[in-house]
Amino acid sequence: MSERAAGSIYDLGYRRYEGRRLGPWDAVLSLYVHGLRAAFGLGRRTRSKVFPMGLAVVAAIPALGYLMAAAFIDIDISDAIGAEDYFTSTFFFPPAALMLFVAAVAPELLGRDQRHATLPLYFSRGLSRQDYALARYASMATALLALTLLPQALLFFGNALVVDSFGGYFQDEWGQVGPIIGSSLLISLFFAAIGMVISAQSGRRAFATIGVIAPFVFLPIISGVLVGVVENFIGRLGVFLNPFFVIDGFTYWFFDAAPDIGEGHPLNTADFAGGWYFFFALAVTAIAVALLVRHYGRRSL
Amino acid sequence: MPLIETYALTKQYPRVTALNALDINVEPGIIGLVGANGAGKSTLIKILLGLLPATRGKARVLDMDVETEGRAIRGLVGYMPEHDCLPPDLSATEFVAHLAEVSGLPRTAARERTAETLRHVGLFEERYREIGGYSTGMKQRVKLAQALVHDPRLIFLDEPTNGLDPAGREEMLDLVRRTGREFGIAVLMSSHLLGEIERVCDSLVVIDAGRLVRQGAVAEFTAGLGSLEVEVEGDAAALAEALTKRGFEARGEGFLAHVGLNGDDPYDAIRDCIVELELGLVRLEQRRQTLEDIFRPEADEAVAERV
Repeated sequence: MSERAAGSIYDLGYRRYEGRRLGPWDAVLSLYVHGLRAAFGLGRRTRSKVFPMGLAVVAAIPALGYLMAAAFIDIDISDAIGAEDYFTSTFFFPPAALMLFVAAVAPELLGRDQRHATLPLYFSRGLSRQDYALARYASMATALLALTLLPQALLFFGNALVVDSFGGYFQDEWGQVGPIIGSSLLISLFFAAIGMVISAQSGRRAFATIGVIAPFVFLPIISGVLVGVVENFIGRLGVFLNPFFVIDGFTYWFFDAAPDIGEGHPLNTADFAGGWYFFFALAVTAIAVALLVRHYGRRSL
Repeated sequence: MPLIETYALTKQYPRVTALNALDINVEPGIIGLVGANGAGKSTLIKILLGLLPATRGKARVLDMDVETEGRAIRGLVGYMPEHDCLPPDLSATEFVAHLAEVSGLPRTAARERTAETLRHVGLFEERYREIGGYSTGMKQRVKLAQALVHDPRLIFLDEPTNGLDPAGREEMLDLVRRTGREFGIAVLMSSHLLGEIERVCDSLVVIDAGRLVRQGAVAEFTAGLGSLEVEVEGDAAALAEALTKRGFEARGEGFLAHVGLNGDDPYDAIRDCIVELELGLVRLEQRRQTLEDIFRPEADEAVAERV
């Protein structure tokens, strides 16, 4: 009773909302921003920040170390790390960090709404199921883009320090910006699509995380066997089963660079033009996103 | 303009028919949706919200078609689900403000409305704490707040008193009544407890096994169905007999007689009979019949049929 009495002192009575109402696009945008913040654990407990932030740092460690080294010691220009190499399988750490980031964040983004049954609250508002799926996907892809662009920026500055003329480097290497953004964008869209469509299948975080990691562990093994042992066209196609090689393929294509890899490397053995990896990644992304949207369209509540 | 209309609305699941050719037509106000567990209440609400597709039939909410104008309808309604639907690691303020934005309110307006709405449902300082630490009653209030925050014209409340203790029930029913009367928002509230519906609602829709049992104003159901309880010093059975001869519905036992209020001037008749029989009148009391009294036999039959 004391609660009610306390309330009535300030209670001005119910007031109708006569203000502006935004369109469906703004609703999707707010869901997207909320998801992007949640991806990094912003606005959540410290515990939720540890994994995503930690993996963002892991993805940037080689670039960070390189930048610091370049600032203090002389590095020969021939030892410089190229932007095209950073997220390829030769470096291992950065792409593995991206994969683990997807495995940690995608189940969180989709699974929370399933576990806590908040989906009916979203779907009973002026937001369609497709909107929801696409907004969540966009949050995931944007978070990954941040993870890929940050080390690239560090690397860019590091290389500018390695060469003698700081300003001259920017002028000479300006052409790298396009391929950096292009390849980072496709890596993000590709990883996010795979991670989200798998995560959507289970509300249990552990299952979803294992489900996302599994193909990144087992497909490369199958791919290695196919390319290395089966010496025909089918065997060569096996290179596409390894997501990391697909990324290698289209990244070198974006930079128009020849990979600095040995004769026996599966990419060389398979010997496909770079454009094929680009189109393959695009196709996988499109199919995964379509499946994700369909999954939420059909989901019963 | 009718608030909700359905025409032969049917929902068929592979094994059960949840709704069976349901025809409903209700006017604005506080509407009670009554039925036993599994009668199809939640299914009906979900179809009206566009969360579930109907197998056959049509439904209109706020004069808009559920199938083709679902998005427009959802912009104007609020929904409080039956089950828990709150993330435990967010505060009520954060969560409700987020949903207000998803409902299309600009950020600052969403914050203001959230604070106001949470106060209306009776959450004060605790609204900054994580929902995980809330009692069931507080969680129900947050669920109601998120349904109200964007100032809808109609809210669907699915079993709002579920899991609450008697005091919590009272407070929730009071909130529902205020929402309908003071806030001017139409309410469709489902419950399996007739008593709750009777105390809060203007009209009711009774469904059982997916079929419409009855619909109409609550007053219609209870009006004219009252009875008088007469306590006498003497033989109440004789009094009942005398009244029955005069054309009243009456039965008596011991010192108590029950007389139906349907005849012509029952009070005079009772007085005259008591004088004739030389009984002493101790007490005369009007008893209003409750919905429970009306539907108990029907509900029992329905249960018996299904068994």
